[in-house]
Amino acid sequence: MQRALVEVLLLAVPAGVLGSWIVLRRLAFFAHAVGTVTFPGLVVAGPWGVAPQLTALAAALGFGAAQERLGRGGRLAPDAATGLLLVAALAVGVVLASDVYESGAGVDSLLFGTLIGLRASDLWFTAAVAAGALVLDAALRRSWLAAGFEPASARSLGLRTARSDRLLLVGIAAAAVVALSAVGALLVAVILVVPAATVRLVCTRLAALQLGATALAAAEGTVALWWADRLNVGPGPAMAVLGGAVFAAVALWTARTRAGAAP
Amino acid sequence: MSAVRVEGLSGGYRPGQEALRDVSFAAGPGQVVGVLGPNGGGKTTLFRALLGELPVRRGEVTLAGAPAYVPQTERARLDFPVSALDVALMGAYGRTPWYRRLGRRERDAARDALARVGLTAVADETFGALSGGQRQRVLLARALVQDAPVLLLDEPLSGVDGASAAGIERVFGELRDEGRTLLVATHDVHQAASWDLVLCVHGRQVAVGKPRETLTPDVLRETYGAELIVLEGGDAAVGVGHHAH
Amino acid sequence: MLGWLIDPFGGTIMQHALAEVLVLSLACGPLGVWVLLYRDAYAAESMSHGMLPGLVVAALAGAPLLVGAAGGVLVAAAGIALVARDERLGGDVGVAVCVSALFGLGAMLALSPAAPPRLQELLFGDLLGVTTADLLAAGALVVGVGLGLAAWARPLALAAFERASAPSLGARPARCELILLVLLAVTTVAAVQGLGNLLLFALIVAPAAAALRLGRHLRTVLALAAGLAALAGVAGLLVSFHLGIATGASVAMCALVPAFAAMLVPARVRRR
Repeated sequence: MQRALVEVLLLAVPAGVLGSWIVLRRLAFFAHAVGTVTFPGLVVAGPWGVAPQLTALAAALGFGAAQERLGRGGRLAPDAATGLLLVAALAVGVVLASDVYESGAGVDSLLFGTLIGLRASDLWFTAAVAAGALVLDAALRRSWLAAGFEPASARSLGLRTARSDRLLLVGIAAAAVVALSAVGALLVAVILVVPAATVRLVCTRLAALQLGATALAAAEGTVALWWADRLNVGPGPAMAVLGGAVFAAVALWTARTRAGAAP
Repeated sequence: MSAVRVEGLSGGYRPGQEALRDVSFAAGPGQVVGVLGPNGGGKTTLFRALLGELPVRRGEVTLAGAPAYVPQTERARLDFPVSALDVALMGAYGRTPWYRRLGRRERDAARDALARVGLTAVADETFGALSGGQRQRVLLARALVQDAPVLLLDEPLSGVDGASAAGIERVFGELRDEGRTLLVATHDVHQAASWDLVLCVHGRQVAVGKPRETLTPDVLRETYGAELIVLEGGDAAVGVGHHAH
Repeated sequence: MLGWLIDPFGGTIMQHALAEVLVLSLACGPLGVWVLLYRDAYAAESMSHGMLPGLVVAALAGAPLLVGAAGGVLVAAAGIALVARDERLGGDVGVAVCVSALFGLGAMLALSPAAPPRLQELLFGDLLGVTTADLLAAGALVVGVGLGLAAWARPLALAAFERASAPSLGARPARCELILLVLLAVTTVAAVQGLGNLLLFALIVAPAAAALRLGRHLRTVLALAAGLAALAGVAGLLVSFHLGIATGASVAMCALVPAFAAMLVPARVRRR
């Protein structure tokens, strides 16, 4: 339980720092998809004797590359490309899990998370990604901000937006990979998108958003851990319900205050 | 007997925010009306109002029949699985109930329309594979099939190559002879000066009337908010400079 | 060779499964074309994921899956519509929040009880468990969707092709979008039994994606999508039977392969 708590607190860092960018740059679907597509990677990790983070990362990066190729040149709308790749990964994962490697009940924990059996190496991995997120953010936030605001002019400002945007996507993929053990492949958005979205409802300044999102992710993650333990489910679903409830509450409260303030 | 009569038309997209105020004019059959104004000045809003598509609307609009709308080609999907003929055929959709197939008569009408705009050769080409000028002509053909007494055209000649432009203008003349009324939104003041009526809008109606009397430097300045250079003879003016925001 | 094709369908289970996929393909294929033309792929994916709590509740209560599916889709659609109103968040952020909350709720309901329902069947489908009653229900829904698509074919085309002039030709764009969402919801409910809420997206979008690349006229594309979906169903069942792999996933993959292959065909659009 100790390790689980440390893991959740470490995860709060990329959840807040990169999650804020996911919300600002409208990358929520991408974040959800990049988590989901790691499913087949997770299934083969055990049988192949490889660290799941590596296979998951390979799947995530492969997805990113394929999505970029497919969405380019008007072949297919980006959303449609993402959706197709996502469902392809799920189908492949199902076949691998049920017929090739017979993962059985383990599939549930791959899909929805479980913090049982965390190893020290997993914590180090997460810490590394957390640190990496902070470094990337410090180095690239100006470029990310300019590109999000108005892509064409950002390039003319001398910012290499294509490269920095790609690094943002890589960062999100890495964050999704380390979040997998906590929330599972299908609920990555619960930690990477929901806390930041909730804070976004009350905060517009970037620094405040990132700090707030980190704090909220840490708080929600901790409570979810305890709740999941009580209910005997993975932390993912617990955090999903908790995060959703908090979001709904904040949304209702801010909507009412805004409606009251409107002329 | 006017084909288009507008009295005190005002409206916008949101309550309390009027994009267009106090437009009143009338146009008869066989007349071509040039609608002039800067971008965002209300030309498209006026067309939307005439189509009945403006969320907030006051005033009276009387039309001889449901108008046909020819938008700019950029607004149409280029990756849609339709040929030029399919697009022209869409003009018949409005008058054909869903359970009736589009038969010989409608197809012939579509082919005729394409012939009138000079596109018989590319009738079976995918719409998105045509040039900008060709696509604009296809959209005009669609309006021809619609057989409406009033046509609204949104900058039909902008960015169109010379050959297509000539074809389009020739069709204008034919439509005028058939007794239809055309409202043409355009940036080309010089061309509008050759038509029957001009209507200048910039958030509100600035002026309306025959071009010779209406297109004075004052009116143009008020419409475009730009510096003007008045050329020799005083009956042509060129606008130079900034759009008002 | 013929035996390889015919033998699997000797028993009732496989016959029902075959009938189910063929019936579903008639709705999923053409509907998917409209989903892509209206750029609604994310809505389709979200609706199917967000319906999970409804499915789980029905499974726990012993109620028919169709009822749970309908309720789940309604709640998901309502939730998505509510969040979409908020302008502070981008379109997909609100939807992501709503869908992951609902999906997590479904998982929680499924994993916490002492007697858990078969979650993986809800997620990935139970094509071989289709009963005659299920078939009739799916058939009725598909007929409804088919009628709807036939009746609204022209307005849907007008509003998708070029929105501004659609009203002058007898089509109201906002209503078309709503109609499409309703038909999508009904199709989702029909397909969830066989394919599960995670995989049904494949049968809706993949054949349509391939058809749009290959077809030149809208009516061809719609027919081609239905045909490719049906083919995916048959091929999927055959592969599943002969190789002994999960049925729903097999159908999904047979739908996806032509879609990805068709992406290699160059587009016919002039690049400006």
